[in-house]
Amino acid sequence: MTDIICPLCGKPNPEELDECQYCQAPLKVAGFIASPEDQEDFSQIFPPSPDQAGEEDQDTQPESPPPSEQSIPDWLKQTEASFLKPSEPEPEELSSEQLSEQIDALINLPSTPAEPQKSAIDDEWLTSLLSEAGAIESIPEGEVLLERAVETGEETSTPAGEETTQEEEEPPAVPAERPAWLTNLEASSNIKLDGGMQPSEVPEPEEQEASVEETGVPGASEHVEIPDWISKVSFEEVPPEPKEPEPPIEPAEIPGWLEALRPSEEATPTAPVEDVSAADVVTAGPLVGLRGVISAHPSAIQARKPPTYSIKLRVTEEQRARVQMMEELLAEEQKPKPPTSKRIITSQNIFRLAIALVLILPIVWMIIAKSQQSPLPQPANYPGVIDFFQQVQQLPAGAPVLVAFDYEPGFSGEMNSAVSTLLSQLMAKNTYLTLVTTAPSGVALAESLVKDAGTGLAGSLSSYPYYTDLGYLPGGTMGLLGLASSPKTVLPYSLEGIDVWASAPLNTVSSVTDFGAVIVITNDPDTARAWIEQVGPVLRAEDGPILMVTSSQAEPLIRPYYEASPSQVQGMVAGLAGGQAYSRAVGRQPQNGVWDAFSMGVTVSILIILIGGIISMVFMLQASARKRED
Amino acid sequence: MLAQINQLADPIGAIIGFLLTLMVLSYIIGDNVLFRLAVSIFIGVASGYAAVLILYNVIWYQVLVPIFQIFSTGKLEGLPTYAIHVFPAVILGFWMITKLTPRLSRWGTPVLAFLTGVGAATVLAGAVRGTIFPQVGASVNMLNIQTAPTELGNIVGWFINGLIVLIGTATTLIYFQFGARRQEEGVPARRSVVLDYLSTAGQGFIAVTLGVLFAGVYLATLSALIDRVQFLWDTISRFF
Repeated sequence: MTDIICPLCGKPNPEELDECQYCQAPLKVAGFIASPEDQEDFSQIFPPSPDQAGEEDQDTQPESPPPSEQSIPDWLKQTEASFLKPSEPEPEELSSEQLSEQIDALINLPSTPAEPQKSAIDDEWLTSLLSEAGAIESIPEGEVLLERAVETGEETSTPAGEETTQEEEEPPAVPAERPAWLTNLEASSNIKLDGGMQPSEVPEPEEQEASVEETGVPGASEHVEIPDWISKVSFEEVPPEPKEPEPPIEPAEIPGWLEALRPSEEATPTAPVEDVSAADVVTAGPLVGLRGVISAHPSAIQARKPPTYSIKLRVTEEQRARVQMMEELLAEEQKPKPPTSKRIITSQNIFRLAIALVLILPIVWMIIAKSQQSPLPQPANYPGVIDFFQQVQQLPAGAPVLVAFDYEPGFSGEMNSAVSTLLSQLMAKNTYLTLVTTAPSGVALAESLVKDAGTGLAGSLSSYPYYTDLGYLPGGTMGLLGLASSPKTVLPYSLEGIDVWASAPLNTVSSVTDFGAVIVITNDPDTARAWIEQVGPVLRAEDGPILMVTSSQAEPLIRPYYEASPSQVQGMVAGLAGGQAYSRAVGRQPQNGVWDAFSMGVTVSILIILIGGIISMVFMLQASARKRED
Repeated sequence: MLAQINQLADPIGAIIGFLLTLMVLSYIIGDNVLFRLAVSIFIGVASGYAAVLILYNVIWYQVLVPIFQIFSTGKLEGLPTYAIHVFPAVILGFWMITKLTPRLSRWGTPVLAFLTGVGAATVLAGAVRGTIFPQVGASVNMLNIQTAPTELGNIVGWFINGLIVLIGTATTLIYFQFGARRQEEGVPARRSVVLDYLSTAGQGFIAVTLGVLFAGVYLATLSALIDRVQFLWDTISRFF
């Protein structure tokens, strides 16, 4: 079985296929190999060109190749022979008589029906060849025109009369000089244009028939039947039709998909042409001889079995050691480490303990001795204390006062001095204490301090009765805003569950401005600022005072509100020193040694800071001196 | 019986306080079990106390008791006020419970967003009304001649005080000005020399302010120490 190589993709196909099984290109029409039957069909569909006819004639005489064939390169001859040899039928040799008859039939065309004559001079090359040889002089010009019109389907535009006039006007035909190529062709061929032929070179009849069939000149064969419609056609029967204007050919409608496939005329190759002079030449396959292309030879694209690689990791000894080291490190990380035993007695602990003792021992001594050596601070030396005292002192007797206990129990040592003095002053004026807190721990602090202050007030044995504890105010800043606008709505009941807003004196309170004063006790500067920002503007609108009892740590941030002009805080007591000054202003003289302990503690602290600073400076100077020496 | 308990509560509380104070002071020798135990007890007691206080003071007396009293006394005129002020808070409060479980957590996001938005608006409005505008006005009035004292000695002090406040405010604001004009290509941008000096002065004012704050914290801590030492001595002298 012979495979047919597809001219388009170069892949082999079985010979029974008409189309390439890979690219669907037709194989029997333009394939490299064709069967004899197919070749006959091809000759009917595509009549061979005169060159091919000449080559076939020359194949019949291999002994004496013509000069034109000598110019064909050997590789082309071999390629042609390899393609045509299997399917080329053995040409039958024509006899000299048959060949001469064919030549005579070609030269002396019969005057009968136009179709055979048309076929005899069907090709223009043959017509021109014969005209040059002078053999076509006997053919009427009208018949030639008619035959051409029938062949091409064109309408004869020239009337017979005009043709006759042109023929009369034309000069008589003079035999043209024979060109050199025709002379060579005649010399290399058996056919002589003057009608003579060498007897020894006359082809066989079978060959003549084959050549006639291949050349498509049915008029040369006697077996060709002429159709009836052609025989009825004669020159005289052609009526001279008036020349009518031919309707313009309407442009065909091209489908969209075909229009899309049409190459763009504007598209011009912009990329430079690749220089393939240095590329390899294909030595095998259908693309043999071409340069710069991928060879389509099966050996070039032969599929190979992919190589197999081992999945086993090759590890060197060094890499193995590193992996082992990494595994050991990871294993160590996962093991729980036993807690390291810390030494209790270290230089740092000793130093820290020494400072604590230096600070605590004087304080303990002052507390135990209840020392009163240091004079109490003067109220005038602490801004806000006198104003605070005066604001409380100006409160009318029995007026409701809102007291906010918003400090942590841890600051009670600093704050309780001032708070106790404040409560005693308020109780001395019989003000109605309304306790509230925004810190959960403030509720217990307030209860405890009020009871303590009431018990010790002027030797009274019972607690102070004129107060109510509203308890915890939730909501933070928003709760304060609600308290400023409507305290009854925010805190409707006291801790005991009593509706205190229904009875005197709180039944007259509808806003925070109805209180005689708002006193905030806090250690947090943010809490103090929240009261100033949320409640302060409401109070300022009615000239209501807001007073602050703060810790020392909140004093630097609250002082600007007090010293502002106009002041946002009408009075403030800050820290233990402020509380002692306020106590002195009220007239209470605590005899517990706290102020002396505080003074001693501050003094010791200053000394520790100074001594530590001096020692640090000495070490720093020594280090810098060593650096200079180095 | 209750009176006896009340009489015993004070000395028992004093003893417990005494022990807990010693446990906290043991931190002088370093972190130890007693200190951590005292801290844990304090956190637990504070949390429990806060929970009881909220249940008792907020849920009971501010949410449930009002509605009970409205229906028990028959005073229905208080019902609209309760519905307007308390009922939305109750709804939002129960809505916030969805934040307890991760599965329903996203349903509580609107409530949280509402609280955050309202809280932020309240704080901002309060800061503008209560701090920014009044404090800017107060700083401007520091050197207002109409507020100057009439005595000559006080005038000098008033002027120096106002000048310090003015310089401190200006230089502190200049310190936080980090912009610089671009110079030639490749030369790093720098502030002008004048701004550098003023910025250094502002840095000094900031350092003094932080030092004062630290001193206040130290004084508050020293006061707490003195209070605890006095408490220990009072307890010892009470029982011994």
